[in-house]
Amino acid sequence: MGEPYPKVTAHDLTRAFGRGTRAVDALGPLDLTVAPGEFVCLVGPSGCGKSTLLRIAAGLLRPSTGTLEIRTLSARPAAMIFQDYGIYDWKTVQANVRFGLDVQRVPRREADARAADWLARTGLADFAHAYPATLSGGMRQRVAIARALAVEPELLLMDEPFAALDAQLRTILQDELLEITQALRTTPLFITHSLEEAIVLGDRVLVMSARPGRIIAEHRPPFPRPRTGDVRAAPEFTALKSELWDLLRKEAVPA
Amino acid sequence: MTTVAPETTGSVLVRRPGPRELHPARTHRRRRALELSLAAAVPLLLVLLWQLAAVQGWIDDRVYPAPSTILADGWDRATAGELWPDVWATTQRVLAGYAVGTAAGYLLGLLMGSLSLVRAALEPLLDALYVVPKLALLPVFLNMFGLGEGPQVALVAATVFFFVWISTMSAVMAVPDGHRDAGRVFGASPWQMFRHVLLPASLPAVLVGARIAAGVAVLVIVASEQIAATDGLGHLIFDSRALFQNDVMFVGIVCVAVLGVLFSELVRFVGRLLTPWAPRDRGRGQS
Repeated sequence: MGEPYPKVTAHDLTRAFGRGTRAVDALGPLDLTVAPGEFVCLVGPSGCGKSTLLRIAAGLLRPSTGTLEIRTLSARPAAMIFQDYGIYDWKTVQANVRFGLDVQRVPRREADARAADWLARTGLADFAHAYPATLSGGMRQRVAIARALAVEPELLLMDEPFAALDAQLRTILQDELLEITQALRTTPLFITHSLEEAIVLGDRVLVMSARPGRIIAEHRPPFPRPRTGDVRAAPEFTALKSELWDLLRKEAVPA
Repeated sequence: MTTVAPETTGSVLVRRPGPRELHPARTHRRRRALELSLAAAVPLLLVLLWQLAAVQGWIDDRVYPAPSTILADGWDRATAGELWPDVWATTQRVLAGYAVGTAAGYLLGLLMGSLSLVRAALEPLLDALYVVPKLALLPVFLNMFGLGEGPQVALVAATVFFFVWISTMSAVMAVPDGHRDAGRVFGASPWQMFRHVLLPASLPAVLVGARIAAGVAVLVIVASEQIAATDGLGHLIFDSRALFQNDVMFVGIVCVAVLGVLFSELVRFVGRLLTPWAPRDRGRGQS
């Protein structure tokens, strides 16, 4: 990768919820190293602590033990895209995209310009002054992506961002995300249930076990960058997908 | 949920366990102790300040008797048995009025929430009645029921009715269509629909209305007792003020406050028993 230091290092990371006898181990112990710019996809059964890991990285939650280090100069290097969009109904599309910049006190003129740029890149320019309620699901998720990217985050955290979309739209947005992230210097951490999604997008696909989530396998899809959605048709794609599915099936079915 | 404060050492941002994660039991215990002591300390401090002000003569202790005087006086009256008839009279009126008002408000709210024709027929009328100050209805109730318990109970019932009615109606209307549809597809009868869907779905919101109504019921009864009753805490408060027994007046006020808190806590407690699935309405007790 050329850069000497990893971007993200998790060491012996665990997280439990609840106290005393009702405590539930949700995550770990987990060790993870992510290189700068590396697109990491996490797949695993429901409730395996994928989201917990992401929330720790985002600073929304503290680990129970262990540490997660992010190599950065910024105090808030991450942006997050949520499954249910997390965009605000009471702000116009443009104001939503500008939200992160407004919070970081970027001057209005510059913020507007950056928001407009991201609206254009995500195909939302015509809807800048519309309210999210009038948009379709795919459009709303584009707003969420534009909002996260407008702050130029070093770490782009995505928690099943396309789970609520239909299959066709999902494919389209995967391709768009692929194109956008390949043009940026960000380190994406992407959670999904879809193996296909993970293989198309990821430089690395990490398979997590059932709760408490640990990493049980790691694969590097053999497609060079820059890549496009066409890799879905490659024979290696199908082979890797069935290999991962064999792993995951054991975890997804309760013993 | 607050964000975890970032800790930067050099060029590395570290997410590490905080005190809550490292010592979960201890942190929880301390937090809880802090909450409880704050809840006790703040009122206690104000009472002490009041005591100090009375003793030091910053305030006229004939008009604002010292807390110690009020306490001693209240104790004397309680042990002598002079206080209880008033407390009991007020409690009875509140409970009777509350029961009638809650039942009527719930029934009508349920009907109006489920049947749009009933809603169309009654909503404007009830909206208009809702804004009439209930105390202004006391003379009407006096004419209807004569002197005695009737008008007092009716006034509390009328007040409680509106709170419960509004919260029930909006709660029933807010039940998601999916909930109703699932019942309808199975062929649920109106009673089954009520029993399995509408009642539990609306109950948490109804209980919020019921708890607000509990406080207001006490508030209204005190006001009405001063006007048209020969006993009760409201009567005690205003009567003793007229006789310039300000310490007795404060005993009455404290009793009203205690009664109000006990009553609304009782409603909350019953509510928790009735809706074990609903999130708690206070931030305490979270894990």
